[in-house]
Amino acid sequence: MIPVSIKLAWREIHSAWSRFLFLFLCIALGVGAIVAVDLFAVNVAQVILGDTRALLGGDVELAWRRAISDKGQKILDSLAHRDIILSHVTEIAAMATVGSPTSQTPLPKIASQLVELKAIDSAYPLYGRLVAEPDLPTAQLLNPLQSDCGRSPCFGALVQESLLIRLNLTVGNELQIGQGNFIITAVLKKEPDRIANGFSLGPRVMISREALKATALIQFGTRVQERYRLSISDSTSLEPLMGELRGRLSQEGAQVSSFRDAQPRLRRFLDQLNLYLGLIGFTILLVGGIGVACTIQGFLTQKIPIIATLKTLGADSSQIIRLYLTQSLILGVIGSLLGVIVGIVLHQGLPLLLQDIIPETMAVNPTVSPILRGLVLGTLATLAFSLWPLLAIRHVSPALVYRQTVDHQQKIANTQSRLTHWRTILKHWWNDRAQVMVSLSMLMSVTGLAMWQAHSPTLGVFFSGACAVSVLLLLGATGILYRVLRHVPIPQRYLLRHAVRNLQRPGNFTKAMTLAIGIGVMLMTTLTIVQRSLLDLIGNQIPSQAPSFFFIDIQPDQYPQFVKVLQQNFPGSPYKLVPVVRSRLTAINGQPIDPEEHKGQRNGWYFTREYVLTASRDLPKDNVLSQGEWWDHTMEADSDGATRIPSDFPLVSVEEDAAKHLGLTLGSTLTLDIQGVPIVAKVGSLRQVDWGSFSINFFMILQPGSFDGAPFTYIATTRVPTTLEVPLQQAIVAVMPNVTAINVGDVLENIGRIFHQLAMGIQALALLCLVTGSIVMIAAISINRYRRLHELAIVKALGASRRLLVFSLGVEFGIIGTFAGLVGLGLGCLLSWSLLYFFFDLTWTFDLILLSTGLLLTILLSLMTGFLATYRLLGFPPLSVLRQE
Amino acid sequence: MELRAGSQSVKILQDISFEVFTNQVVAIVGPSGSGKSTLLGLLAGLDRPTQGSICIHQTDITTLTETEMAHFRRKHIGYVFQAFHLIPTLTALENVALPLELQGISTGTLRAKTLLQSVGLEHRLHHYPVQLSGGEQQRVALARAFIVRPPLLLADEPTGNLDSSTGALVIDLLWELHQEHGSTLVLVTHDMSLAARAQRILTLRDGAMVNETLPPLLSSGSEA
Repeated sequence: MIPVSIKLAWREIHSAWSRFLFLFLCIALGVGAIVAVDLFAVNVAQVILGDTRALLGGDVELAWRRAISDKGQKILDSLAHRDIILSHVTEIAAMATVGSPTSQTPLPKIASQLVELKAIDSAYPLYGRLVAEPDLPTAQLLNPLQSDCGRSPCFGALVQESLLIRLNLTVGNELQIGQGNFIITAVLKKEPDRIANGFSLGPRVMISREALKATALIQFGTRVQERYRLSISDSTSLEPLMGELRGRLSQEGAQVSSFRDAQPRLRRFLDQLNLYLGLIGFTILLVGGIGVACTIQGFLTQKIPIIATLKTLGADSSQIIRLYLTQSLILGVIGSLLGVIVGIVLHQGLPLLLQDIIPETMAVNPTVSPILRGLVLGTLATLAFSLWPLLAIRHVSPALVYRQTVDHQQKIANTQSRLTHWRTILKHWWNDRAQVMVSLSMLMSVTGLAMWQAHSPTLGVFFSGACAVSVLLLLGATGILYRVLRHVPIPQRYLLRHAVRNLQRPGNFTKAMTLAIGIGVMLMTTLTIVQRSLLDLIGNQIPSQAPSFFFIDIQPDQYPQFVKVLQQNFPGSPYKLVPVVRSRLTAINGQPIDPEEHKGQRNGWYFTREYVLTASRDLPKDNVLSQGEWWDHTMEADSDGATRIPSDFPLVSVEEDAAKHLGLTLGSTLTLDIQGVPIVAKVGSLRQVDWGSFSINFFMILQPGSFDGAPFTYIATTRVPTTLEVPLQQAIVAVMPNVTAINVGDVLENIGRIFHQLAMGIQALALLCLVTGSIVMIAAISINRYRRLHELAIVKALGASRRLLVFSLGVEFGIIGTFAGLVGLGLGCLLSWSLLYFFFDLTWTFDLILLSTGLLLTILLSLMTGFLATYRLLGFPPLSVLRQE
Repeated sequence: MELRAGSQSVKILQDISFEVFTNQVVAIVGPSGSGKSTLLGLLAGLDRPTQGSICIHQTDITTLTETEMAHFRRKHIGYVFQAFHLIPTLTALENVALPLELQGISTGTLRAKTLLQSVGLEHRLHHYPVQLSGGEQQRVALARAFIVRPPLLLADEPTGNLDSSTGALVIDLLWELHQEHGSTLVLVTHDMSLAARAQRILTLRDGAMVNETLPPLLSSGSEA
């Protein structure tokens, strides 16, 4: 049989469910946000961890950033005899053109587009399925009938739809890439080994290995990704094979990875994203908690007669607190259940906001564990935030049953003033053990929940500490503002006075409302300022002299031709050509570097990355020497122009940060592997580099002549007016089809777009926090709606017009909005300054327009929310209200 | 007994001393504001006297903590109010069973049913207070007060909110239950005809006891 206490708890909710509507909403939004982010995280994990073999393209991948060496090839060949299936994929950035590149006119009429070319063999894909439209066998799509080709011989190309849109093409049209002719045979719908679309230079074009040879794109020093995927039989165990391959191939410059460590970077990025989104969700739940506390406190005020009666029947305070905790539990469960529905709905929307960032094959399926977690989090948060107001039950005297004259409102208001005035809080804190216990358990439960949410004890403690500091600062600042208001001369006009007095009345939750809105404003301000600074960094701070184009993979023999095209067609455009070679760091001071050791470590990429080297006579313009000396170039060249290395090793100038992380000092030696040829260089100087200058910059610059004979190519930069960007790209690509043109504006736009999407996703959640703040305000106003109704009726009966009453309410809500805005914006500035200063190393700039717009919007929000909560009260005829007295 | 309102304090009761014996019926009478209800509240431990002591069943209830007092009250004291004070969200049956449940006794419903039958409300078991008339509500309140078989029953103007015929019915019931359960009954009233049914009448005026009438049929017994 159900105990009467549970029946009582349930019936009180049932009979007054509309009073709990806002409490449900407060919990539901917080839980909804958390559930949505968690479901999203699970879906992301399902994709990344689910079919890791398909994502990697095999059980094992051996990747090179250059053509494989003969020795490497021999090792690969030896694997073929061991029941291992091999698939070879080459990836390279290239220019796809449409039109007539062979035309001899100075500016041929062609359209060109940077694409990510991928050459596959017949074994591709080893795992997963390639989906194209029309859905024909891949071999058939890659090798079409020669009769279909306008220009023979031709190959088939599977292209992403975005290429068709950009170049205004359809399936069946022709395309040139390098020296190769292609016919578009299908639209590429799903690539099993590609996870997200956002981070690419251009649309994907998939061709056969034979076709790649025909393009003649791969030349000495070309920037290329060679991937060899291995499918091993069940009988072969992975770990020994990995060990063997690492041992045999690491020296050949191969990156060996297995499906178990597929996509570590993307995984880390999405984990971090989900963590931050989850913590914003948790903040929403905490803001909702303020609404819970206000609602419970308001509800208890109305339940004082019942509490007093229960006490006369012999119930002790702890029994009644338990009874109302049961009620909070039920409320929490209902609110959280609603939250799950909100979460599932939001979950459908989140991928739309982040579509370029998330894996394209991600399914949007609700799963059980995030839902259960949301339910538990929501219910526990409700309980934690109910406990404090429920303590007031102890102060309800049973004598209230017969001493009706004692003002109930006063009684709870006294309790509340105890809760809001810091000095009394402290005093009671020391005197009241239960209060101490509840405060501690609240703090501990919030910390515990934060730890659970963040999946990290340290971060959980840090987060709840930051929350506690923010709340204290917000409360302190709010307290000061309301104290100042108390010292402002009391306005003469009654309605103004009424508004100001109303704010200071005990039991009116003014500070709670300010706090709830203030947290949302703080979050929004912080995110907006940080986002603006980062977007500024990407977009607006590009120096006016920055190049508009990068051209890569210019062969040494194309140097004069490149300069000629530029000078003839675009006279006066500044340009610069720099020789580069790609290399890997293999040893420091003679000590070999084991890339495996640094994998996954913070800043470990300094050891494992590919270094693009250049040789330069002069210190680049934007660089500043911080240690050592630049080489004396007069000593390097003989009269016949031949370069000569004066010291035992060539000198290298290293960028300061890289040197710090690699542990390099002046005189250290570096061993660099240039396409299989090791060269040793001695650190002669350290440089500061301004990476934001968008000029060509290098981590390592060698003395001229250091890599003579190595397969170097040229990188060129140039700057042309926007109107000439397309003609320039066409002109270069027409004469040098192997050269890849990268438009700086396009790349930045791409980065900006992804960043914008990220910011949108995060800000959408922050906006939800502000909405929750508004709901807390509505909830707090609704609690006192009967008292307000009564007061409005009296003032109306005395002759105040509705316009005047609206004015009075407007002043009240306007002040709340102003204070919440000031406090939220102030703390938002502080928080964004700390983030920019400590994490992003950027300067914080005062943006008056942003801040004043923020303040105005907050006031507007507060006014709208306030009127939404009270407009119905204004419509009641005063007589009907007063007659009910 | 003093009450404090801001910086001012008002003496509500002073120099009151009396004993009540088991099974006795004592009526407290006096004009409005004379402190009758406060005195009854003090006896129930709902208020605390600023001076003096109150002993019930050899226990000085003024020394008990709030929780001890609540536990004492649930076992020893039944209380009937002028304004009934039923819990609006519980049915008649649940209201009556509530005090037993507060003691952790789960079989209260059966006893509550029997008690409601004895007050003639067997057809109203599942009605909510708002669906009951004033007289019915007070009968439910009586049943609730007697369900724990309290040695001491306190009634504060039990007929104050009822018309005279309903009031008489309730009083008859109160007496029946008092006799059936053998409780000591202290009731506050300004209805002299009701007071006359008591064995002793204490008269209060301005917070002081001015008169005690001892009806001839005073039965002696141990201190309640």
